[in-house]
Amino acid sequence: MENAILSKEKFPELVNLIAAKNKLFAPVKENGFSLFKQVKEASEIDTSYVNTRVPPKSIIFKQTETLFRFTPGKKGNVEAIPEENEKIVIYAIRTCDAKAFALLDPVFLGDFEDPYYSARRRNSVLIGLSCSNPGPACFCTSFDDSPSSKEYVDILFTDIGDNYYVEGNTEIGKKFLEEYKTLFDSASDENVKSRDTVEKEAIGKIKRTMKLTGVAEKLDGMFEHSIWYEYARKCIGCGTCTYLCPTCHCFDMQDESTLNKGARIRVWDSCMYPEYTQHASGHNPRPTRMNRIRNRVYHKFNYFPKNAEVFGCTGCGRCIEYCSANIDIIEIINKIGEVEE
Amino acid sequence: MVDQKELIDAVKETISREDVRYIVGYEKGTFGFETAPSFAYTSDDAGKFIFNPLCTKNLVVYPILEEKLPLKREEQVDDRKIGIVVKGCDSRAVVQILQEKGLKRENLVLIGIPCTGVIDTKKIKNKFPNQTEYTDVKEDKNHYVFSIEDSVQKIPKEELLADVCKECEYPNPVIYDIMIGEEIEVDTEPTYNKVREFEEKTLSEKWEYWEKHFENCIRCYACREACPLCYCKTCMADLLDPQWIRRSVNLSENTAWNIMRAFHLAGRCVSCGECERACPAEIPLMKLNKMLEKEIKESFDYTAGLDPEEKTLFGTFNPDDPEEFIM
Repeated sequence: MENAILSKEKFPELVNLIAAKNKLFAPVKENGFSLFKQVKEASEIDTSYVNTRVPPKSIIFKQTETLFRFTPGKKGNVEAIPEENEKIVIYAIRTCDAKAFALLDPVFLGDFEDPYYSARRRNSVLIGLSCSNPGPACFCTSFDDSPSSKEYVDILFTDIGDNYYVEGNTEIGKKFLEEYKTLFDSASDENVKSRDTVEKEAIGKIKRTMKLTGVAEKLDGMFEHSIWYEYARKCIGCGTCTYLCPTCHCFDMQDESTLNKGARIRVWDSCMYPEYTQHASGHNPRPTRMNRIRNRVYHKFNYFPKNAEVFGCTGCGRCIEYCSANIDIIEIINKIGEVEE
Repeated sequence: MVDQKELIDAVKETISREDVRYIVGYEKGTFGFETAPSFAYTSDDAGKFIFNPLCTKNLVVYPILEEKLPLKREEQVDDRKIGIVVKGCDSRAVVQILQEKGLKRENLVLIGIPCTGVIDTKKIKNKFPNQTEYTDVKEDKNHYVFSIEDSVQKIPKEELLADVCKECEYPNPVIYDIMIGEEIEVDTEPTYNKVREFEEKTLSEKWEYWEKHFENCIRCYACREACPLCYCKTCMADLLDPQWIRRSVNLSENTAWNIMRAFHLAGRCVSCGECERACPAEIPLMKLNKMLEKEIKESFDYTAGLDPEEKTLFGTFNPDDPEEFIM
């Protein structure tokens, strides 16, 4: 099944059906902000959001992952964690967050396949919801993406008033929709027009632009530039920008144990912390915030394009919105563009 | 209202002094209702400086965050002074650090600003969520005045004022070298009403409340990094041996972190509210800090960060100190 409409009255039924067979994650509002949580019913879902605070990468690439359990000591043993094979459906994911998975996939499914990420990723269906009200820090259009892009999702929903306009994009998505086809109605030309209007209006609301032409190449010659000191002065060195980033994926591994049981865990780490590069010898190759800020920008706008031919940023705007020192990646990149070579 | 020209002139004059390295103040932010920390190294840089009710950040964190790399051969230590623009609460952070000997008075130049309270940027963003252009907010008696797309907005101060400012007893800098503008008359007595209300809840209600919030903690340590009083060389949260708090991000470890941090600030927190502002998970951290502040006030008649010559709460002992809490 490809394009169709779903009446909003039938939406709760669809949610119930999906939740009965899958682990359904959707945005909910708690304590005044939005985050993805597992839901059972449509009433729990709140789609009046720009972006969830923590990106949905946390569903597939968990902040804390138990890699295996063990019993310490001479007679100790190692116990593997059974592979997760539950079906995961992420509903109302934004284009920017869905694109992030396309950027994380080469990392976790590339030369070395990460079994934990891989199991969840392969069992997941991404259902996008067109973003109709982008926030002041949003800039996905700078990457030639659209708030209603279906490129990175399996299925895309667009709110067109009384109905959702539903587009199946991938084979997985189309097959998934097929299961629930009795709920859908065929789409009219009018519906297609409404969907395009939503997209056009949303694009019109994105006011800020990151000028990306030639940035990756230009950075090659800017390693020692004073701009890094300028931004590092403001940085307080917390990990907010990295933890809220949908494409950041660095982690740390630790053994956590008591006398008779333990586990090796993997937790998100941040290149904004000095500890991240601290050597056992005491030497730190990135000793100051200047080195760390520079690395973050290079990783996303120079190393990523070199390795994967795509920028490591999707324009979700979280690092801009939640930085307590107003360090603004759009401003940094645009300033880099203005630097005379 | 702070006279912008008076502020810029004071910064220009100060940065022209030979014994001053740089001055940290505020400048316009890059979008919406943001302001950003600004660093003046020359008198030209001073022109960027602003002060308005959006200047929330406690800038005292910056001298604390300075990274000192090993000196190169024949390099001299640059021990010139650092200038900081301080509001009442920020100046108290300076005093507290001076008491603890974390900074030296002779290394600082303090440009004090009597503060009539800052805006809670979350509240103003909720009201005008699509504001992309930087917006300058002015204060007019009991209102905040600013324009959004050519229409002038006049919002009652009460609606946007940060909660932590509502019971501020010390809007005037308690320590300064230069004062910009007139001191404000103070008639606020903290009531601790919010804390008292919370105290009325049952133990399980309280626990449920904190569980709901600590669950969301992502352990980014923005609270710690934003706090001028969190300046331990190695934070216990970063220690691996012994490891007091595990790296696993779950309710148990998150609770340990947040409670531990609150206790480490007991008798030291100056109620600037920076931790809560910086928290991306919107954990009401000031509720913990205010609770401890109230306990300390009632038990020891002590307020943090008022007199640099005074000893710290934990650095003093009085035989008459209440001991009910000792089993």
